[in-house]
Amino acid sequence: MPQDPQFGDKLVTLMAALVLVLQIAMAGQRWIVTNIRIFAVQSFLLAAIAAVIAGFNHAPHIFIAAGLTLIVKAILVPIWLERLVERFQIRREIRPIVNAPLSILICGGLTLVGYVVAESFHRPEEGFNPAALGHNILAVAISLFLIGFFTIINRRKALAQVLALLSLENGLFLAAISLTYGMPLIVEIGVLFDVLVAVMVLGILVYRIRESFESMDVSRLRRLRG
Amino acid sequence: MPSVEALFSVGLAVYLAGAVAGLAAWRRPAAARVAGFALALAGTLLQGAASAMALVQGAGATWTLPLGTALFPWTVRLDPLSAYFNLALAFLACAVSVYSFGYVRHMEGKKNVGTLVFFYNLLLLSLSLVFTAANAFSFLVAWEVMALVAYCLVSFEHEKAEARRAGVVFLVMSHAGTGLLLVAFLVLATTARSLDFARFHLLGSQLPLLDQGAVFLLFFLGFGVKAGIVPLHIWLPDAHPVAPSNVSALMSGIVIKTGIYGMARVFFDFFGPPPLWAGTVVLSIGVASALLGVLYALMEHDLKRLLAYHSIENIGIILMGFGAALVFRALGHGNLAAVALVAGLYHTFNHATFKGLLFLGAGSVLHGTGTRNMEHMGGLIRRMPATALFFLVGSVAISGLPPLNGFVSEWLTYQALLAGFGSTESLTRMMFPISGALLALTAALAAACFVKAFGIPFLALPRSEAAAAAKESPVSMQIGMGILAAGCVALGVGATWFVRLFDPITSQALGLRVSSSLVAANGLAMAAGTGRGGTVSTAGIAVLGLALGGIAAILVMLRSRGARRVSGPTWDCGLPGLTADNQYTATAFSKPLRMIFSALYRPRREIQAEYEVSPYYPTAIRFESDIEPTFEKRFYDPLQRSILELARRMRGIQAGSIHAYLAYIFVTLILLLLFGVRG
Repeated sequence: MPQDPQFGDKLVTLMAALVLVLQIAMAGQRWIVTNIRIFAVQSFLLAAIAAVIAGFNHAPHIFIAAGLTLIVKAILVPIWLERLVERFQIRREIRPIVNAPLSILICGGLTLVGYVVAESFHRPEEGFNPAALGHNILAVAISLFLIGFFTIINRRKALAQVLALLSLENGLFLAAISLTYGMPLIVEIGVLFDVLVAVMVLGILVYRIRESFESMDVSRLRRLRG
Repeated sequence: MPSVEALFSVGLAVYLAGAVAGLAAWRRPAAARVAGFALALAGTLLQGAASAMALVQGAGATWTLPLGTALFPWTVRLDPLSAYFNLALAFLACAVSVYSFGYVRHMEGKKNVGTLVFFYNLLLLSLSLVFTAANAFSFLVAWEVMALVAYCLVSFEHEKAEARRAGVVFLVMSHAGTGLLLVAFLVLATTARSLDFARFHLLGSQLPLLDQGAVFLLFFLGFGVKAGIVPLHIWLPDAHPVAPSNVSALMSGIVIKTGIYGMARVFFDFFGPPPLWAGTVVLSIGVASALLGVLYALMEHDLKRLLAYHSIENIGIILMGFGAALVFRALGHGNLAAVALVAGLYHTFNHATFKGLLFLGAGSVLHGTGTRNMEHMGGLIRRMPATALFFLVGSVAISGLPPLNGFVSEWLTYQALLAGFGSTESLTRMMFPISGALLALTAALAAACFVKAFGIPFLALPRSEAAAAAKESPVSMQIGMGILAAGCVALGVGATWFVRLFDPITSQALGLRVSSSLVAANGLAMAAGTGRGGTVSTAGIAVLGLALGGIAAILVMLRSRGARRVSGPTWDCGLPGLTADNQYTATAFSKPLRMIFSALYRPRREIQAEYEVSPYYPTAIRFESDIEPTFEKRFYDPLQRSILELARRMRGIQAGSIHAYLAYIFVTLILLLLFGVRG
């Protein structure tokens, strides 16, 4: 593997850009199964980013985090979600609250916010060093988080919201890995385990909501207000 | 000789044991009562010994109790100020615990005595912890525990609607006050980067001027709620009377003093010389509380509510001392500040003593007659002579008559205020004589009020069957009252000795010792400590009074020897058949004052006469009279309405849609992010 940090930086930036594009695609896209697959690809790219950073910083434990991300988020969770879709005969089409063009416009705005916020962390006077590899992907991470949050709001069905929550969590992972490099492995494993449990619990919750309301549309929970 | 720490800690453990004993024996009320109050008594003795030793030694040892967490250790400190308040607590609680042996007996079988004992001991425990807490965390925890326990005790007789309502009002206002305190403590803690009170010393004055004022006001209002300053007092006359009488004595005697303790701690420990306006505000609020407290007390016919209003008055007098001390400090008159501070602190102890005594007396009357309404009492001096004597001692003390303790501290307050006129400039100069004049008015009205509070229940003929059948209270209740009555006399006659206890406090707060300048004539008389003020000797007055009384008694005995006593009917204006209903009533007694101050009271009265033949020969008359609760009507009611209105409008935001809620969070997040970037 080439050890030129400039190259590593470019590689990471490229993949981070792809992750962001996928996130925006997910926000503006209407088919649930496609959504799940986009999420899988995004998680795969995330694992790749982690691996590149691990390679350039000689941090073996990030390799493990990358591997776990690959297994859990890029493989296990998408498979589990697709099975849920099949088992519950969920309508394949998502009907978002805000229509697709407007959603993408909003996502653009949120990306801008992400860059403005990340700018305030930027310290150009510190110069370039291998440890700062990927510092410029903090903006991507914040944008991922914001767009993920927006997507949660923009979805009616609980399952689609779970998916948006997971992509939001991808943003957090990206932020953590780009800023610290040193998150103890136990924390990474904990976070992944959290995601796994969250998906399962939400799967059960989705099932219960459907049983009780004969729909997965959370708008119907409106009746619960005091 | 055991150390202060050991005595104090064992005292706390004994309180805890008392609380546990009360719960453990809740099925056997008699056992719970005896064990619980015996342990409480033992605890007060230990605490009293520890506090007295700490006060005499003067040094404030700090140590840690095994109550806190690793991050927030529970440090306690018995510096002179803490020790002084803790001593007042121990003295009052000692008498009240003795009293409770007899008083609580009548609740056995009717109420859950075990829980009463539990909360009683817990209240003493939390009060001790409030007075001695050495960091903001343990202080606030103890403060909240105290408020919750006090709430449980106020609504102890929860089958009565008034007790439930009073409890809720108390709890709400108490928490609002704690909220203010929390903010103030956080501001100090972020500046000090520590929660330790030791690090807060003089810190307040280092804050920026605006923060300084804000923190000062937050503390003043936060502690003021607990102390019952006007206009934050409305919970007090409701909450204190509905509790069992032994608890009322503690509530009025010492629980409201936690507010005073907090103010003393903040004004004279956390702050250096404060801005001039701060002292002026405290002094004005003190005057308003004193005057309004006594004016509302005059209109009360419920004995315990009357006493509760007098607590507001006395808090006002204490604050006049504190306010004067702050003004003097701001103007650089250290000696006068020390005298005024001594006056305020002295009155704190005195009020704990005589108000405790009066509430115990009222409890004894309630125990004997079963009513709190004065209009149903009368003639109790013959049926309850011991209670009457003790109540009289308390009444004389609270009215500020020599030679008892109330006189000494009010006299000191006057002296400080009068000295202020002589040694300050311009506008503040006028504030002092006006405050002094209003203090004099307050004292006179208090005396009038206690002529009523003693005369109507104890003198003349019984106005109801319950009063006619009243019996004297058990011996333990009499001993409890006797301890406090002895305290009233000792604190009055022995004032010149007692003022020495303040030296460690004033030297800690202001770096001055003033007791030597307050004592004249080899310890026989009090002096004003300013050179130009007056001197007075309570011991001399007492001796003179005893001598004159003795001479008069001898003369009467000599003259009446061989004389015959003749009893005749009271002159009845030619209308035969006088009954107890023809007596002067409490309402009638206070009528002149109701007329004079009608602008404040806005009295309302309604008379309905029923007649058969002619209106001049009524068969029945219904008379109703009340006064307007000004603060509730003009301040709290509009406030409550606007809060409810605001809440109704806020309800529109609660749409019930998860998407809307998420959007709120999202928008807030983005705004905060952008705000963070800008700042």
